[in-house]
Amino acid sequence: MAVASNSTTLPKSYRSSFNTPTQLPSGFLKFTPRPTAAKRSSSITCAIAMEEDKKSEPAVHLRPDSFGRFGKFGGKYVPETLMYALTELETAFRSLAEDHEFKKELDGILKDYVGRESPLYFAERLTEHYKRSNGEGPHIYLKREDLNHTGAHKINNAVAQALLAKRLGKKRIIAETGAGQHGVATATVCARFGLQCVIYMGAQDMERQSLNVFRMRLLGAEVRAVHSGTATLKDATSEAIRDWVTNVESTHYILGSVAGPHPYPMMVREFHAVIGKETRKQALEKWGGKPDILVACVGGGSNAMGLFHEFVDDEEVRLIGVEAAGFGLDSGRHAATLTKGEVGVLHGAMSYLLQDEDGQIVEPHSISAGLDYPGVGPEHSFLKDIGRAEYYSCTDEEALEAFMRLSRLEGIIPALETSHALAYLEKLCPTLANGTRVVLNCSGRGDKDVQTAIKYLQV
Amino acid sequence: MASCYGQFACNIVQAKLGSSNTTPMKPMRVISLALRSPNETTKHETFTSNNIVITKKSLTKTLLEAEERESAGKGKFGKYGGRYVPETLITCLNKLEAELNLVLHDPEFQAELSTALRDYVGRETPLYFAQRLTNHYKNDYGQGPEIYLKREDLNHGGAHKINNAIAQVMLARRMGRKSVVAATGAGQHGVATAAACAKLSLECTIFMGSRDMERQPSNVVLMNLLGAQVKCIDGSFKDATSEAIRSWVGNLETSYYLAGTAVGPHPCPTMVREFQAIIGKETRKQAMEKWGGKPDVLVACVGTGSNALGLFHEFLRDEDVRLIGVEAAGASIDDGRHSATLARGDVGVYHGAMSYLLQDEEGQILGAHSIGVGLEYPGVSPELSFLKDIGRAEFYTVTDQEALDAYRRLCRLEGIFPALEASHALAFLEKLCPTLPHGTKVVVNCSGRGDKDAATVFEKTTAGLANHKTKST
Repeated sequence: MAVASNSTTLPKSYRSSFNTPTQLPSGFLKFTPRPTAAKRSSSITCAIAMEEDKKSEPAVHLRPDSFGRFGKFGGKYVPETLMYALTELETAFRSLAEDHEFKKELDGILKDYVGRESPLYFAERLTEHYKRSNGEGPHIYLKREDLNHTGAHKINNAVAQALLAKRLGKKRIIAETGAGQHGVATATVCARFGLQCVIYMGAQDMERQSLNVFRMRLLGAEVRAVHSGTATLKDATSEAIRDWVTNVESTHYILGSVAGPHPYPMMVREFHAVIGKETRKQALEKWGGKPDILVACVGGGSNAMGLFHEFVDDEEVRLIGVEAAGFGLDSGRHAATLTKGEVGVLHGAMSYLLQDEDGQIVEPHSISAGLDYPGVGPEHSFLKDIGRAEYYSCTDEEALEAFMRLSRLEGIIPALETSHALAYLEKLCPTLANGTRVVLNCSGRGDKDVQTAIKYLQV
Repeated sequence: MASCYGQFACNIVQAKLGSSNTTPMKPMRVISLALRSPNETTKHETFTSNNIVITKKSLTKTLLEAEERESAGKGKFGKYGGRYVPETLITCLNKLEAELNLVLHDPEFQAELSTALRDYVGRETPLYFAQRLTNHYKNDYGQGPEIYLKREDLNHGGAHKINNAIAQVMLARRMGRKSVVAATGAGQHGVATAAACAKLSLECTIFMGSRDMERQPSNVVLMNLLGAQVKCIDGSFKDATSEAIRSWVGNLETSYYLAGTAVGPHPCPTMVREFQAIIGKETRKQAMEKWGGKPDVLVACVGTGSNALGLFHEFLRDEDVRLIGVEAAGASIDDGRHSATLARGDVGVYHGAMSYLLQDEEGQILGAHSIGVGLEYPGVSPELSFLKDIGRAEFYTVTDQEALDAYRRLCRLEGIFPALEASHALAFLEKLCPTLPHGTKVVVNCSGRGDKDAATVFEKTTAGLANHKTKST
C-alpha cells in the first residue's frame, strides 16, 4: 500500500510508533546519509528518539530529528520520485545556512526589499483598553509584520526560498495558493529574481479573488486553475505537488507554510525565525528583558513558528497559538485543527488534521482564508503534545470584533488572520498579572479584508 | 518684489597659497526672476588676486538663503506663498506658526515623533537598489545609470502622507484640539490622518470629492474602519479642500485643519515640508552608506509637491544634485485635460497662497485630470514654483498611458506595485535614462504602493484588450 502525498490519511486506529511504521513498504525506509554539518542543537542529529516521557528535555532539542520528525509528527510521506529532490533541498539548505555570502545577500534583501527589521510597537491604547478598574493590566506589544513589503510575513520565506532556488540553479518556481496571498508573495519574488512562476489556484478561489489573480499576472506569473475535488486550496496543493513530481529537476516548489514533507517545516521555520530573533533584540532594548507571553494566529503555523522558535528553549516564555473556530467549535464549520483534529498524514507530513470517521479530509471554514487549512504544521502538533505551547481558538465573530477594535484604537487595520490572535487577548488579559509583557505577532495588514469585513458587518 | 534678488551676496574670502590662476572680474548682474530662463545654469566663479582666492557664493545658494529668511518671516518663497486668507484666520495661523517653531526645537516632541515614526510608521524606509530596472535601462554596451527607489510605499498606510499626518496630529493634541479636519484626493492623506487620529484618540472628519470617492472606494472604506467620518463633497480634491477650510473656520478653537500637502497659507507649506523632509535626510545618510556619496539625480512625482519637497529639501544646496519633478499630462497635455501646473499654469492665488495654477483667461480655476488621483490638483506648492523660477529644479510631464506602462513595468521587473502617482516619476525614467552617463546614481521617490490602483489598472487593461479585440476582428 502506497502512502500517497495527497489527501488520504491513515485510519483512525493507527498508533504512530516512532520506529518503523509497519504499513509502509520498505522502499520508504531508504535514505541517503547526510553530511553532519549541523551546529545548532535544534537541527538534525543522528539519534532516533524513542517514545519518551513527554516532559523530558532532549525531546525539545530534536526539532526535527534525522528523519525530519518532531516527536512522532512530521516525516516525509511522499512518492519515491520526490525523495531525491527533498534530500537535495535539505543538503542545499544546510550548506547555505552556513554560507556567509548567502546570509549576507539574504539580509540585504530582507532589509532593502522587504523593509526589515519590522518594529516592535507598544500599543498604548490597546493596553489602556485591557487595564482593569484598579489600573492594572498587561502591556501589549505588536510585532509589525504587516509593514513588510506585500503586507504580511509570507515574504520572509518566499524571498529566502527564491534565493535558494537560484543557488540550486532552478529556473522555474511553482506554488499553491488559497486566497492569493502566498501566490502574490511568490509571484513578487519571482519577478524580483527573474524566475519563471506558475501558481496553482482552485477554480472556486480564482472566481472569488479575481483581483489577486490579476495581480499575480501583472507580476508575470502564470495562474493555473485547478478544477478537481472542491477546487480549493487543498486541491491546488495536490496539483502543485503533482507538477513538482513531474518537473523536479528544473523546478522548485515554494511551500507557503511550515507544513509539508521534511525539510519544508524546518526550512520555512528557519526563514521566518528572523521574526523571533528581532523580537528578542528589541525586547532587550525596550525593557531589558524577554517577552512573558507570545501570541500568534495559527493556520499552517508559519508566522507562529517564526515568532516562537527563538523562545522555545526559554521555559518562562509562554507560547500561545490561536486557531480559527469559524462558526463555533461545535458547529462543525471551523479550522481548529489542534483542538478538534486527530493525527493523520496530509501533504507529506504526519500531524493533526480535521478528518471524518472514514479518514477523509473535512472542508474547514474560517472567515479568513489564511487560516482555512485542514492541517497544521507538524512542529505545532509536537509542541502541543509536549505541553510547551498552548492552543486556543476564536470564532469569526470574535475575530471581526478584534479587527474593528485594533482599527479604532491604534489606527492599524490587521489581517483577519491576525485578528484571531487579537481576539484571544479578550480572554487572556484579565488573567494576567500587572505589567506582564505580551508580544502579539501582527502577521499581516487587513486592506485585503475590508470588503469581507463590511459584508459580514452589514449582515 | 523681484529687485531684492538682484544683487550678489557677500563674498567669502579665503587665503590660499601657491595658486596662480587669474580670471578677470565679472561685472555685477541684476537678475529679474521673471526673465530668468530655467535652463540657465548658475556659475560658480572664483578669481584670485595675488595669493588670495575669493570664492563667491553661487547665485542659486544666494537666492535660496534669501528665500529662507523671507519664508521664515512672511511665508514667502520669492514672490510665491504668503497668506491670502480672511482676517479671521490670521490669528489662528499665527498660533500654528508659533507652535510649529516650538515643536521643531523641542527635544521631547522630537523624541516622541521619532519613536512614532520608527515603531508606528516603520521608518526608516529602505533605499532599494532596483537591479532589474537598472538592467532595463542599460544600453547595448551595458552602460546606464543606477536606479535606486526610496521605499515610501513601505510606510504604514502605504504612502509618504503619514510622515506629515502623525506629526501634525501630535501637534494638534499638544495644542489641546479635540478634533481634526482634513481634505483628501486619492484618499491616502485621509487614511493616514484617520490612522493617526485613531492612535492619538482625536475625532476625525475627512472631506472627499465625489469623483474621487468613486475612483478610490477602497480608501473610503479604510477611513470608515479607522473611525473617521467621511463627508462627500460634489467635485474633486479642490472642492473638498475648500469645504474643509470652511468647516474649520467655523470651529477654530476646538478643531485642527490638517494640511496634507505643501499648499495653503503660511505656515502650511513650510510645516508639511519640514515633516516630510525626513525622506531626504534618510536618503543622504543611506546614499553615504551605500556608495559613499550623494545621489546625482532625484526624481519625484508632483501633484502638489509634498513627496517631492520631502526628498528634495535636504539637497537644495547641493547644486551637483539634479532635482526633477514629474507632473501629470493626463490623456494628453494638449487637450487641456491634465494636471501639469508648472508646465502649463500661470501665477495666481488659490487656497491662500500665490503659486502657479491652472486657470482660464478669466482667472477661473480649471479642473485637473490624471489617472493618478493624487496628482489631480490645479495648483502646486509655492516653494516648487519658486524652485522652478530660479532654475534649481526641472519639471516635466508624463501621460496616463506612460504612467500605466511604468506601473506594469515595475511590477514585472521588481515585484513592486507603485502607486499610479509614483508611476509618473518612474515613467519619466524612459526619457531620462538614455541621456545619463554610465553609473549616474538616480534616486526615485517611490511615494506610495499601488494596491489601491490595481482595480483601475485592471479596468484599463481589460478595456484595452477588449478594444484591441474589436479592432482586430
